[in-house]
Amino acid sequence: MRYEIRVDGHMSETLTSAFPELDHVMMSGHTVLYGSVIDEAHLYGLLARCRSLGLRVLEMRQLPE
Amino acid sequence: MAGLEENGPEPTTSCADPRGDPFLHTRFAIPARPATFLRRERLVRHLDQALRTPLTVVSGAAGAGKTLLAADWAAREDRSVAWLTNDAAAQGCGMFWAYFLQALSASGVSPPAEVGSPADASRVDQTLLTRLAAGLSDRDRPVIVVLDEYDRVTAPEIAEQLEFVLHHAGRGMRLILVTRTEPLLPLHRYRAVGDMTEIRAAELAFTPEEATALLELHGLRVPVSAARSLVERTRGWAAGLRLCALAAQESPDPETYLKEFEVDRTTVADFLLAEVLKRQTPEAQDLLLRVSVLDRFGPELANALTGRTDAESVLAGLHRENAFVEYLGHDRYRLHPLFGEILHAHLRMRSPGLEPDLHRRAATWLRDSGSLAETLGHGAAAGDWEFTAGALVDDLAIGQLFTGLRSDHLAELFSGMGPEATSPATDLVRAARELARSNLDHGLAHLRHAERSLAEEDRTPAGESPPGLAAARLSHALLEALAGRLTGSPARAETAAETAAELQQEVPAQLLDAHPELAALLSTHLGSTRLWAGSYEDARAALSTAVACSEGASTALPREESLGHLALIYYLNGWPGKAERKALAAVSETERFSLREESGSGIELLVLAAVAVDRNELDRAQAFLDAAADSHHAMRDPVMRAGRALATARLLLARGETHAALEAAEPAVSADVASPWSEAHKALAASAVHLAEGRPETAAELLQGVPGDQPTCVVGAARAQLAAGRPTEALGLLDRVRPEGGTGAERRTGPAVTVRASLVRAEAADRAGDSATARRLVAHALHEARRERLRRPFLEAGPWIRPLLGMAPLRGLAEGWLTPGPPPCAAPRAHPGDQPPPPVVEELSGREHDVLERLAQMMSTEEIAADLYVSVNTVKTHLKSVYRKLSVNRRHDAVHRARELRLL
Repeated sequence: MRYEIRVDGHMSETLTSAFPELDHVMMSGHTVLYGSVIDEAHLYGLLARCRSLGLRVLEMRQLPE
Repeated sequence: MAGLEENGPEPTTSCADPRGDPFLHTRFAIPARPATFLRRERLVRHLDQALRTPLTVVSGAAGAGKTLLAADWAAREDRSVAWLTNDAAAQGCGMFWAYFLQALSASGVSPPAEVGSPADASRVDQTLLTRLAAGLSDRDRPVIVVLDEYDRVTAPEIAEQLEFVLHHAGRGMRLILVTRTEPLLPLHRYRAVGDMTEIRAAELAFTPEEATALLELHGLRVPVSAARSLVERTRGWAAGLRLCALAAQESPDPETYLKEFEVDRTTVADFLLAEVLKRQTPEAQDLLLRVSVLDRFGPELANALTGRTDAESVLAGLHRENAFVEYLGHDRYRLHPLFGEILHAHLRMRSPGLEPDLHRRAATWLRDSGSLAETLGHGAAAGDWEFTAGALVDDLAIGQLFTGLRSDHLAELFSGMGPEATSPATDLVRAARELARSNLDHGLAHLRHAERSLAEEDRTPAGESPPGLAAARLSHALLEALAGRLTGSPARAETAAETAAELQQEVPAQLLDAHPELAALLSTHLGSTRLWAGSYEDARAALSTAVACSEGASTALPREESLGHLALIYYLNGWPGKAERKALAAVSETERFSLREESGSGIELLVLAAVAVDRNELDRAQAFLDAAADSHHAMRDPVMRAGRALATARLLLARGETHAALEAAEPAVSADVASPWSEAHKALAASAVHLAEGRPETAAELLQGVPGDQPTCVVGAARAQLAAGRPTEALGLLDRVRPEGGTGAERRTGPAVTVRASLVRAEAADRAGDSATARRLVAHALHEARRERLRRPFLEAGPWIRPLLGMAPLRGLAEGWLTPGPPPCAAPRAHPGDQPPPPVVEELSGREHDVLERLAQMMSTEEIAADLYVSVNTVKTHLKSVYRKLSVNRRHDAVHRARELRLL
């Protein structure tokens, strides 16, 4: 499964390093984290991580393989 | 049941949580409000409604100000509030409820003692929750319970249990959940009937006016318009505003700074944290990053991580500024949950590779300060297994791998240990983990390794043995005793017990006091091994010691097992009633401490099954056997296997399934020494099969040379001799088990033996034509058997006894429990309120009536078949249709119902 998570604001390098398993790209005031997600548990873990880092998730969607 | 009493807050220092840890007081403390806290009356007024609704949910993002709102409200409230800060490290419903109960006590609302407390981290018994809810519902004033950081409670079953308690506590409890995520309770139901107060993110957000007031508290005066754009940028996020104020305070021109912040596009938390962090002194920055590996800490632990001595003043300063740290009281701090994560990310970035070192330092410091659970956690995080295993063994806590709330957690913790770690302690931990899973070969191999390396350490020069050596050797002795038990080797267990007794003098007394499970486990293993070897009296002594150990979560399992073994001894000596009482005590211990059935050997269930067979309650026996079958892996010792073989074989025999009984009688045991009772009962079952199939000679042969100390088997042998036509031999054998000949003060053999013996004598008399003696003996047997409801011996006795039971004096003795009682003769029904039984819709056929009549005479299926000259299967078919027509599903009920309907 590949996913992308769009987060409000530009994430610093420190914060993106908290998602070592994902790539990221900055665009127009957002940061998009993307990459493969192992399973649902991983997915919810990523969401929880966003929450614990105070990130505002704007969008999350599955990408075509 | 008494309601929960208010005793005023009591000192909780002596209490231990189910894992054996002193409770972390800070989890029950209402968090302190910082000097710059802004009370917002609109939220306080809304929260006041929590007093009128059973459930209140305060939800919002990290740093939204939820906890401070609830804490401020709770502290102002004049009634007592039970506060519990949840912890991700303490997962499992057993742990949750243990802390819940402790939070009630800490607030001065003590649950009644009979509520009990869970002893298994992952389990809580439903009856405990029922008792708790009942205790709460009796209160005149509701107890207010605040569960902070409820989002850390992820197990769905805890939400269900909480809902159950909340529902059944009625007006006795007001629950306030403070959480980042939507709780799994059925909120819609509460919402629909107006039983819920909700404060959500939108309401928690600061208004521009409130933001202005907050900034003012930080010494910043900004116009409302500036505050408005700030609120827009942060969306009213409390933590963001606070950080913003801190950063602006340090800036030469705060207003320009706030403008800059507005236009910046970095994520808010990230930006602000970096800003505020870089304004701290290098020492404070260093400290903040390093303590990000800890949950809670005091200044000394922080010093241990930084290698400096300034933590006290730095932490006090940070707390004063309300930057990053929260003060928990008791000289304990923690990082604000949001910033902890971000600081952790900064630590990894700035000093990669430092983390394991920090964990190791924390573990070392914690070990000296005596907090074992945290020591182990950090030791494992550092990957230093020699240290971690050493800490466990030195603390004499190895028993916790087997018993108590912590065992799962510890097993999981040490599952990361690789083969490269080598020390006596790591070998001991490995051996314990394997033995706990009944992985005998691996366990014994590790145990040998441990023994060798311990012997080497013992030889270290100058006679100065390392300080923890006695503890390690004692741990080794405990595992040896267990090995003796699992391999059925009394010599090994006895040696281990002797060694342990010596070593207990050498280790510090307070360690032994802190770990009552060690002695309890030791006695249980010893007792079980002695029981296997047939030394009942010695076994009873050891097992009673274990039962007498201080009650508590950590000893619940060995106590349960010991009670189960004591029950087996009673059963083997022929005392079903006493055996049943002990076994039920073991079962209630299981319930009180919410133990899993599979955690123990389940021996008490096997005893209950065997007792039920003796009473001819075969369905009940089957149910107990099925329940015991679920007790997998742990403690598959020979006693348990032999006990299972015994109970199963007896049940199958009672059902007439002789072939299966013969197979089941052979326990799958490999033991160092043979067990006299196991062997004897195996022979007895085989002999009974031959007897039932009409081969008395073979039956008698099998029991020849049975040792005299197995009275049940001697009686069995006598029966076989009699059946083979040798009454003199039979009576000679019986003379060996005369109850009067008992040695101890307590008569050793109980009614299950003596009743059978009397019946064999009666049969012999009957055969000899001496019906007066036969009647007297049967009367004697009935007298003895009646109290214990021992029906099986009479059913096994054979057809000769039936006419006797129908005669005048004996009929009275047998009626009501063995044979059907006198007809109710139109007596008014005992319970007028009872539902009338469903009417008989179909007449019984003649054959079905015949079967039913014989059923009422307590004849077995086989006997009925023989009596009616039909096959067993035919009888079963008739029985099934009888059951159907009478709308019952058991023999007993069928007879009962038939009598009610005057069909008999």
